[in-house]
Amino acid sequence: MATTTAVAPANSMFRVQHTGPLTALQIVDKIIAQSGASGRAKTVDRITAGDPTAAVTGIAVTAMATFDCLKAAAAAGCNLVVTYEPVWWLDDDSLDRMEGDGLFAAKRDFLRAHNMVVFNFHDHWRDRAPDGIAAGMAKALGWEGYIADMSHPATFRLPPTTLLGLAKELHTKLGDRTMRMVGDPRLPVATVAAIWGNAEQMATIHLLNGSADVVICGYTHEWEAVEYAQDMVAVGDKKGLILLGDIKSVEGGMQYCADWLKTFITDIPVTFVPVAEPYWNPADLG
Amino acid sequence: MDTIFTRRTMLAAGAAGAALASTARPSSAASLTAGDVIERMKQHIGGPWREGGVDGYKVGTPETIVIGVATTMMATFDAFKAALARGCNMVITHEPTYWSHPDTLTYIQDDPLYRVKRAFLEKHNVVSYHLHDHWHALKPIDGINAGTMQLMGWTKYMHADNQRLFTLPPTTLLGLARDFRNKMNDRTLRVVGDPQMPVRIVYESWGNCSQFPGAQFMNSEADVLVIGEAQDWDLVEYAQDLVSSGKKKGLILLGHVLSEQWGMKYCAEWLKGFVTEVPVKFVRIVEPYWNLRHPAFELNPKI
Repeated sequence: MATTTAVAPANSMFRVQHTGPLTALQIVDKIIAQSGASGRAKTVDRITAGDPTAAVTGIAVTAMATFDCLKAAAAAGCNLVVTYEPVWWLDDDSLDRMEGDGLFAAKRDFLRAHNMVVFNFHDHWRDRAPDGIAAGMAKALGWEGYIADMSHPATFRLPPTTLLGLAKELHTKLGDRTMRMVGDPRLPVATVAAIWGNAEQMATIHLLNGSADVVICGYTHEWEAVEYAQDMVAVGDKKGLILLGDIKSVEGGMQYCADWLKTFITDIPVTFVPVAEPYWNPADLG
Repeated sequence: MDTIFTRRTMLAAGAAGAALASTARPSSAASLTAGDVIERMKQHIGGPWREGGVDGYKVGTPETIVIGVATTMMATFDAFKAALARGCNMVITHEPTYWSHPDTLTYIQDDPLYRVKRAFLEKHNVVSYHLHDHWHALKPIDGINAGTMQLMGWTKYMHADNQRLFTLPPTTLLGLARDFRNKMNDRTLRVVGDPQMPVRIVYESWGNCSQFPGAQFMNSEADVLVIGEAQDWDLVEYAQDLVSSGKKKGLILLGHVLSEQWGMKYCAEWLKGFVTEVPVKFVRIVEPYWNLRHPAFELNPKI
């Protein structure tokens, strides 16, 4: 269209009262609008599985749309899954290499059989002000009173403890059995900075060089920031690094997401679905 | 473990050793350069020496006189201190010196730790040579795989048509995990799958393994895929979902360093075959992590 001479009243078609059942797409649009985030030029947030026009019976919110999670959601009567991490095992849910993959077919067939839709809700939730994952993790840890900067609630001034004491607290509050620590267990700790989820190399290095005694993350490469943290300790810097595992480091943020959805989605049930810690350690089995 | 070691207690010992090493240069070896060592490696690797990968000098020059060669899994500050304390100023490392796979310096020019590490290495006339791609390309067996299978006693179990596959005496996923824990002294390894699952065939991908090709390895005839590390939302989720879909499969994550450093021990043995003028040593590095069951940050007691 080269020119527009007559313009219909803005969004007039959306003002019509919708009378049918709510579709997945309508709910997804509403979630994105409510987040207030402007959206990234390249985003992973989209419907990654299912029919966008499916009528939604219930919404399941989770850290990671694992097969187990989908089964639990279906059992709870939910057919829209809002997930922080991908359903198809890659950051961007790319299916390029999935042709002929038996597990892809099995998971897809399960989703189809249950008329399920998966919505990857990652970037908008992080870009919301404040970051939805950070806000939720602060709540999950009971650290809201220790937030150093409310605009980015991921730095905390805690009552004095040690790296070991902090690790025990995280273990207890998050139920994390396989977390891993770098640094002296007796390191005095007062300021903690978190990169919930995946911690990129330079972002982690910058935080380690800041005021924090300890940086907490979900995952970071062993040959990058983990090596860097080791080297800091090796030259006498009083620093520590904690790797919680990705799920344990974001799940509180998605529990909070479920609570947040309930504030504007009132006619459809919203359920938080926890995901089991992926791992075990043989020492825990005797 | 009752004793808690800290790296600081070793800092003094390492620095003292380093000072000693830098002044004690055996005159008989004064003519061996880093370039000589690399040239001999090229002759023995069994295949073409390719440009374009991550391998190469990260610190020092080919002209540097070598007083001793140390191989190590990852060129941590600790590894350099240990190498110098043991009389070695040439470090051949499988993993980076400067905290990224290609040792990218663009973003760390003003990084305080980069400056400290670089100054320390220059002061001690150190060469750091990244040997990643070519060590995996060693013929007839990947150098990392050769060392790790030696440690595990798996050489006789290797499949003739695929060096990554091993048929073991029957065990379980828990039994195999314990075997790794005991032989590698790996306290922080993590496992996906049913501990009681019977295991006979194992696929290895020591080091990092992503969903591609990890998913293909898991869908092979192997019961278990054993790797160094992977991302939780990637191969780890795939493994969880395979189990959830009813497949009898397991995934073991040993940690990157512990899955591969035996291959650099083997590298020292290999180098001794053609570097005879100076000592060649393997520098073991510590397990990078501790967990709540073993809250001790250990140092290499041999430093």
